[in-house]
Amino acid sequence: MNLILFTFIVLLGFTSYYFGRKKAYTIQSTKKRLTALPQFYGYYLAIWCAIPAFIIFSLWAIFEPTIVKLLILSDYSNQGYLDDELNLIYEKTKALSRGQFTGEITPFIEASAEKYLSLRSIAQSSKVVIVLSAIIASVAYAYKRISSNSRTREPVEKFLNAVLFTASLAAILTTVGIVFSLIFQTIDFFKVIPLFDFVFGTHWYPAKAFVRDSSEALDPTMYSDTFGAVPIFAGTFFIAFIAMCVAIPIGLMSGIYLAEYASTKVRQYAKPLIEILAGIPTVVYGFFAALTVGPFLKELGTSMGLEVSAESALAAGGVMGIMIIPFISSLSDDVITSVPQSLRDGSYAMGATKSETIKRVIFPAALPGIVGSILLGVSRAIGETMIVVMASGLAANLTLNPLESTSTITAQIVVILIGDQAFGDPKTQAAFALGMSLFLVTLCLNIVALRVVKKYREKYE
Amino acid sequence: MIKIKAKDVDVFYGKKQALFNISLDIEENQVTALIGPSGCGKSTFLRCLNRMNDVIDICSVKGEILINDFNINDKSCDVVRLREKIGMVFQKPNPFPKTLYENVSYGPTIHGMAQSKQEMDEIVETSLKKAALWEEVKDRLHEPGTGLSGGQQQRLCIARAISVRPEVILMDEPCSALDPIATAQIEELIDELKKEHTIIIVTHSMAQAARVSQNTGFFHLGQLIEHGSTDKIFKNPDNKKTQDYITGRFG
Repeated sequence: MNLILFTFIVLLGFTSYYFGRKKAYTIQSTKKRLTALPQFYGYYLAIWCAIPAFIIFSLWAIFEPTIVKLLILSDYSNQGYLDDELNLIYEKTKALSRGQFTGEITPFIEASAEKYLSLRSIAQSSKVVIVLSAIIASVAYAYKRISSNSRTREPVEKFLNAVLFTASLAAILTTVGIVFSLIFQTIDFFKVIPLFDFVFGTHWYPAKAFVRDSSEALDPTMYSDTFGAVPIFAGTFFIAFIAMCVAIPIGLMSGIYLAEYASTKVRQYAKPLIEILAGIPTVVYGFFAALTVGPFLKELGTSMGLEVSAESALAAGGVMGIMIIPFISSLSDDVITSVPQSLRDGSYAMGATKSETIKRVIFPAALPGIVGSILLGVSRAIGETMIVVMASGLAANLTLNPLESTSTITAQIVVILIGDQAFGDPKTQAAFALGMSLFLVTLCLNIVALRVVKKYREKYE
Repeated sequence: MIKIKAKDVDVFYGKKQALFNISLDIEENQVTALIGPSGCGKSTFLRCLNRMNDVIDICSVKGEILINDFNINDKSCDVVRLREKIGMVFQKPNPFPKTLYENVSYGPTIHGMAQSKQEMDEIVETSLKKAALWEEVKDRLHEPGTGLSGGQQQRLCIARAISVRPEVILMDEPCSALDPIATAQIEELIDELKKEHTIIIVTHSMAQAARVSQNTGFFHLGQLIEHGSTDKIFKNPDNKKTQDYITGRFG
């Protein structure tokens, strides 16, 4: 029903565009000068069609459920039900009206369900009537107002501005919303677990919290030595470090090759090929690390008499590094290419060779941008989940041996949130606390990276 | 005395020919100006003299260019040594994003010309003095070269070019991005520099060519129309096209 109504409104919009334009043409044919192109008159009318429809639709979506609920529950008032019980009755009513109710059907609820259905259908038809009449009224009003000197260009431009603004606002508000949901859960978590224990504790065994019977009262002492985040922070940075050890040299050198040495033809093929690496889903990297690289390293290590875990930090970090190569190579390629040719010419004209020019002039000039690209790579490494979950094990060992298994923040969040979760339980909230710390770390890295890149831009533009 | 002798030089950008059969002799310790309308090939010719066209993939140079009787287009020519002997100053000042000191010491460093810090200090000081920049910047040698004014930057680039004591300095419209005062300073400098260096300058300004040069070559559509002493080219050119260009009838 809503879909049909929506289609109809869209059609009305097109029609009003057509009529608006036509009226403008008519005015034009009487040799009067228009203040805007005829299309603007069309858009103007279409906007007058869209805005009332949008407003009524959203008001309806906000108020209809509340009003229906009030009307249904008014039958149950004065009978001494608690709020929770009333909510339950309402849910039962809705379920029954959809035919999905499985419990015992009482006559009361049956009556409410019928009432609910009839209310809904009344609401639906009145919505159709109201929306359509509002649209027709507003379009008719706007149509009457159109004359040769009416302002249509400015409102249309303003409307576009507002639409674009709303779009960016939606993106920003989502971010803010996510941060807030993290903050409140995090605060709850730190009410039970002291911040100090979280930041400096060296034991991370969330499994201990899994066994708690949720009917028991919360006893903070039983969580001592459970949520010490040091091992997983260490693991996160350690694996990211291994990843960057792989990604920085390879990425940077291939970036320099692409920007300075590769012929146009090689570059034309090599650059997209390297960027394909960025398109591989991380889960594929994950099983590549877990099923190919991990066992290979284990065998190699065993043949050399080393003890290597099948799920080693080295395997996860190494594969993660490969994943990050295209980011660094592609970004540093761009940065190096954007170093002005005049600097290269200046250096060559002094008799410098290619490698001297790169080492002494181009690289220092591109350094801020390169640092920016590396920092972006680091924040990716820290936030990467799938590879670590699959290849690096889930036990949070505090170790600096790349051949042992370690765990990361992201992997632990996955561990915590898989399976049944209870809100208000420190175990679940721990995931939010971890998410928050992860967010803060990557936020700082991104801010630094953007600053550095910006500074670089100022220097050359 | 002839310093540079170009014989039948052709230059191609891909399939398009940019220079046709250029033959030109350049006198030692004099200033030679190359003039002509935009796109006539004078900068291309200039870039042949230190093989800067090598940097452009699609560019190919044919013919002989003899410097001190040695053909620089020969396979045995070492480009690094060649560019050490032939310095270049560009249209837009292009100091490296490094300190003033590092800008000037760049050439001597890569050619291993100084054995000690002291020697390098001397080279930097004499180069900056010769470029008439020393007095203005001696207190801030370790500040970035990009912080100077346009005219100062161009003099810094000249100091950078003369730091390796080149025999020839190529200047590609060195004043086109500068104001009249900075231009006057650079022109004065060019007059000073010709005592020790052979200078070839590409310029759009005929007044500048007349002021600074002893010899002039006029390029048009990739051909060298006429060359000779500046006096003759400006007062009594043989060719009608040169006459027209000099008097401002086209270009």
